[in-house]
Amino acid sequence: MIEIKNLVKHYGDIKALNGISFTVKDNEILGFLGPNGAGKSTTMNIITGYLSSTSGIVKINGHDILTEPDLAKKDIGYLPEQPPLYLDMTVTEYLKFICELKGVPKKDHKEHMEQIMNMVGINLVAGRLIGNLSKGYKQRVGIAQALVGDPPILILDEPTVGLDPNQIIGIRKLIKALSKNHSIIVSSHILSEIQEIADRVVIIHRGKIAAVDTIKDLSQRLSGSNKLKLSFKGPAKEAAARLKMVPGVKDVVIKTASGISEVDIELVENATNEVRANITMTMAKSGWPVLEFRSLDPSLEEVFMSVTSG
Amino acid sequence: MYAIFKREFLSYFRTPVGYVAMAIFTFISGFIFYSLFSTGIVNISEEIISLRALFIVIIPIITMGMFAEDRKRGTEVLYYANPVDLFSVVFSKFLAAILLCFVMFINVFIHIIVVAACGGEIGIGVFGSVLVFFFMAALFIAIGIFASVITDNQIISAILTFIFILVIQLMSMIGSYIGTFVSTIMAYMGLSNVTRQSAQSAVSGAISWFDPFAKTYEFRNGTFSVSALVFCLSFAIFFLYLSFRILEKKRWSQK
Repeated sequence: MIEIKNLVKHYGDIKALNGISFTVKDNEILGFLGPNGAGKSTTMNIITGYLSSTSGIVKINGHDILTEPDLAKKDIGYLPEQPPLYLDMTVTEYLKFICELKGVPKKDHKEHMEQIMNMVGINLVAGRLIGNLSKGYKQRVGIAQALVGDPPILILDEPTVGLDPNQIIGIRKLIKALSKNHSIIVSSHILSEIQEIADRVVIIHRGKIAAVDTIKDLSQRLSGSNKLKLSFKGPAKEAAARLKMVPGVKDVVIKTASGISEVDIELVENATNEVRANITMTMAKSGWPVLEFRSLDPSLEEVFMSVTSG
Repeated sequence: MYAIFKREFLSYFRTPVGYVAMAIFTFISGFIFYSLFSTGIVNISEEIISLRALFIVIIPIITMGMFAEDRKRGTEVLYYANPVDLFSVVFSKFLAAILLCFVMFINVFIHIIVVAACGGEIGIGVFGSVLVFFFMAALFIAIGIFASVITDNQIISAILTFIFILVIQLMSMIGSYIGTFVSTIMAYMGLSNVTRQSAQSAVSGAISWFDPFAKTYEFRNGTFSVSALVFCLSFAIFFLYLSFRILEKKRWSQK
């Protein structure tokens, strides 16, 4: 369990963090969401003891990171934004070093390392120099490093950066599996990624918490998104005029008029599926073949607007 | 702590650093030994004392990356986010560098064996010179670590260490220059010759007190001074402690 109370961090005149408070329960995945520069990494660095806060309290399983650092740090596995890798070591040498650093008993090293390497899928590159590995593998060695010593709390700063889609799915599965007996904080600036894995979300913006929400509530709030994107073959202006006549359509904005036309359609609040059906019917009747028709995902900025405004 | 010591020591041999330092040392010590050998009179103390001049090149090479490199590649996090004591990190790196010096020094031990085998005399002065060599290495390595802690850049760290060691090597000379300078100023102020001379010797004496080379001069003749060794050691610890404090302070930095 992690308790964070009123965390403040100044960098000169800039307040990187301005009163952040939240808790992470046992065996929970907390998504930590925010645009670049919101203070995600700073918060994570403070939780792990790499930085110290200007004021505020961080407690890891009841141990304060400042007054009982050794007990607190023992319980944390940390993957920073830039994985802390020695490029001149092989994967095995590196993980052995981390085992020693974290005080894993020597007789357990081999078994423990094998288990972790299997888990993150780096057993095939065990004997290779880290410097020669691809970015995806390096990232996974970084995750392996955080798992050494089996800490009950994992703090992962953008764990899927630089991975290909298959690897991303693999890492997500791994995080899900780990959450059975770990508390995990995962940061990201990609909404959909957090939506996939987290139980709860903390959204921070400019050093302040914009929202703390369960994924379910957040999804509900966001499903109110009522913007659609439509591309079709046909005259844009004429189509826009006709679509505006469809009941339930609030506004139509022309994005591209030449070649394949594209329009953004805004629906009224609580629009039913009937409205969408009517739109396609209108297009079909007019003889303009629809090429693409989908709802627009809200951008992170829109999410902030939505969560902060209500 | 042992883990960091082992990693640091082995990392000298994973990169060219250890080999370069050893190559320079082995070549120069071999050359000095050869030159002495060809004259027929080999004084190992003399060889070791000449080799001390190499510190100015070798110490910056072996210490420049110690912390600067950690910060650059982000591995610094490992020391802060794991249950390890920062001072033990500094001290482990220090010991690793000392061990590297010891490995370099094996070549001189071979020379000692050769001299002994040829019927040469290995006196207490040689022992004294070896002792001074390592105590001075400890002092300079601590200074190198300090330079590596205060900057993120390896090159700047190396240059800083170079300058530090240069100043220490020239300490007595700098002391006498400053003494003369003080005396000249006093002459302009119209002070008497006696006052000027005593001021000059006081100033130059105070500055050259910091010269470890002068302090340990008599070791080569077999006259040992515990205070000189304590001097080197306490300054080494002072710089290590300073490095530790700076590392710790970085966490609290608000810039």
